[in-house]
Amino acid sequence: MSTASAVPALALAGLVKRFGGTVAVDGVDLVVPTGSFYGLVGPNGAGKTTTLSMATGLLRPDAGSAAVHGVDVWTDPVAAKRMVGNLADGVRLFDRLTGEQLITYTGLMFGLPREQVLERTADLLRLMDLGSSAGTPVADYSAGMTKKVALACALVHAPRLLVLDEPFESVDPVSAANIEDVLRSYTASGGTVIVSSHSMDLVQRMCDHVAILAAGRVLVAGTVDEVRAGSTLQERFLELVGGRTRSEGPTWLRQS
Amino acid sequence: MVATVLRLRYRILGNMLARSVWQLVGFVFGIAGAAGALAVAVVGLALIGASGLDAVRGVMTIGGALLVVGWSIAPLVAGGVDTTVEAEQLAPFPLTTRQVMLALTVVGIAGVPGIATTLGVLSGFAAWGRWPVAVLAAVICLPLGVLGCVLASRTVASFSNRGRGRFGNGVALVAFALLVLTGPILTGLLGLVGGAGDDFAERIGAVVAGISWTPVGAVWAVPGDLAAGAYLSGSLKLLIALATLAALWLLWRRNVVAASVSPRRRIASGRAGRLSWFGIAPTGATAAGWARSLRYWLGDPRYLRNLVIVVLLPALFAFALGGHVEGPLFAFAVVLPALLLGLVPYADVAYDGSAFASVLATGITGRADRAGRLLGAASACVPVVLGVAIVTVALSGRWELLPAVLGTGLCALFAGLGICAISSAYIVIPVPASGDNIFKRVPGQTFTAGLALMGFTLLAGALTAPALGLAVAAAVAGSAALSWLSLVVGLLVGVAAAVAGVAIGGRVFDRTGPLLLARVHATAGY
Repeated sequence: MSTASAVPALALAGLVKRFGGTVAVDGVDLVVPTGSFYGLVGPNGAGKTTTLSMATGLLRPDAGSAAVHGVDVWTDPVAAKRMVGNLADGVRLFDRLTGEQLITYTGLMFGLPREQVLERTADLLRLMDLGSSAGTPVADYSAGMTKKVALACALVHAPRLLVLDEPFESVDPVSAANIEDVLRSYTASGGTVIVSSHSMDLVQRMCDHVAILAAGRVLVAGTVDEVRAGSTLQERFLELVGGRTRSEGPTWLRQS
Repeated sequence: MVATVLRLRYRILGNMLARSVWQLVGFVFGIAGAAGALAVAVVGLALIGASGLDAVRGVMTIGGALLVVGWSIAPLVAGGVDTTVEAEQLAPFPLTTRQVMLALTVVGIAGVPGIATTLGVLSGFAAWGRWPVAVLAAVICLPLGVLGCVLASRTVASFSNRGRGRFGNGVALVAFALLVLTGPILTGLLGLVGGAGDDFAERIGAVVAGISWTPVGAVWAVPGDLAAGAYLSGSLKLLIALATLAALWLLWRRNVVAASVSPRRRIASGRAGRLSWFGIAPTGATAAGWARSLRYWLGDPRYLRNLVIVVLLPALFAFALGGHVEGPLFAFAVVLPALLLGLVPYADVAYDGSAFASVLATGITGRADRAGRLLGAASACVPVVLGVAIVTVALSGRWELLPAVLGTGLCALFAGLGICAISSAYIVIPVPASGDNIFKRVPGQTFTAGLALMGFTLLAGALTAPALGLAVAAAVAGSAALSWLSLVVGLLVGVAAAVAGVAIGGRVFDRTGPLLLARVHATAGY
């Protein structure tokens, strides 16, 4: 964390994206220090996925800039993307390939030497507990297994920055704990992780930094302790985002 | 309950049409087409009524049987007559199996194809008008016929849904191949039935009599049999028709019950170690793209279908020539399929679906992406084109034309692939998702994309023209030198087109990559 003052792992400045008449992302600034474990939280439709797409070179912003370790994503996308491991949410994989083929393919795409690709693929299959279904087409995987193989693909080229959109959705608790360990030792060794998640407990436990997004804007960002300011992250989130209703629900739903 | 499901079906149709003008245009054209076919059927049936009982019996039986066959094949090759509402989607509601099936039957009849079929079949009364007994029987038999159509399509659809994935698509491919080869198969059957007899009318009569005893034809033959006084065979055929309906209902019921208790689920287990093309690809984005693309060309029915067509088209061509395959014309039978094959990936990125995001995220250069896709397509297509070329040339008996045929065919293929390397960096069209029924109707095929494809075909044809010209000259003059020259020119132009396509397409891709992904998200929605 001593390098935090140097070039940040990811710097977003004034990102804007409009879809037709609606503004999905409305001027997002964010600085993710190198070596941090950064959580990105927000209600549905807050613009998390859109922001991360623009940060990783998948969606061209209408305005603003994104830089990975000082390399501008939109002027030098090839160099920037080499440093990024990306787990995008809501996209398909090449699901006719088997899990093993998919990870190998991704490794080869990044130009890793063949022996290294084979070795890393074996390691990742073991880490994700996918060994017994390595030869099965990804199309036949369950949601959690698909998530794990996508995560393995994001890791295979040992990126300096990991961008994980909803990485733990439908992943079983054992795999999740194993992955968490790996990510922790990765950040301890100088790697940077950004996760978007709906699980406040998970973010509070795993992350050292957090930003709360709503309606395309950053409401608050900083270290987890700064943001939650004494209360839990969950309480702070509800307080900032609002929209919580404290009713007992419609009367017709009550069973007695 | 049935009314609610029916309203739901029209609501979905309305929402779909409201989403895009082009879909509305397509829908209107579909209705106009159905109305036109209907008018022809009504007038034709009324006219035929004047030409005697035998003619009416033949037309009604054959036409009705074709109608049933058409409805049965439609779920396989057209993605279902009506997939807007399916049994699986109704499973969460507290409906009995009978109610679900009743609702789906009514929905099937109430769609555009169902309404057109009903009206067309009812116009059968115009044909039977002169024979009161037949009219009386038709009151029962024609509605039963329509019901048979709908039940057949629902039953077939329920099977293809259960076997979704590789098996379902395998069945669909076979059905498609049979459909393409309908002409040759029918003439073959006619030839078989007729045997030595030369009288064409006699042969037709025998075929009609045969079909009238099959489950698809029986119900349509009953009024004619009764009108002709053949009461026994008429009653037997009515029994066959009723038994067919009962069998369809039971089969369909079995599948609906299975679908409501066990939604599609697959078992996942398979050891590591089968790397396929990834096991031999050297590292780097181009080779990885090549291996991925080749894996899809040979494993994904959406691509594989086109390789099947290339093999089948020369057979159709032979049929059109009446089996006279000797001579230079048939020697060149591979050229047109090769041209079409080259243009298959003209919107290649669309076939990736949103998996294209994982390509884009690697920071691949446009040149590497284009080259990988082109090489993958070429690795799948070139052997097929070579094989078909050798077989057709061998059948034609003009071996000296082989170099010219290869030159023209490969030139057409590579010209197309070169064009696609550029066009697929611009164009995204809606295509069936990976694993979907490959013949699924995908709404929103735009007019402009169709126009563009036509332009690409002309362009590829123009690029092939020099090699083709030399090949024709070689065939006319019987000159081996010209034949070889055609091969050289064809290969040169083809390779040049491919290289230029990769270079230009690569530069375009570098600029449009994120835009392509945005379009894939917008058009494919998966």
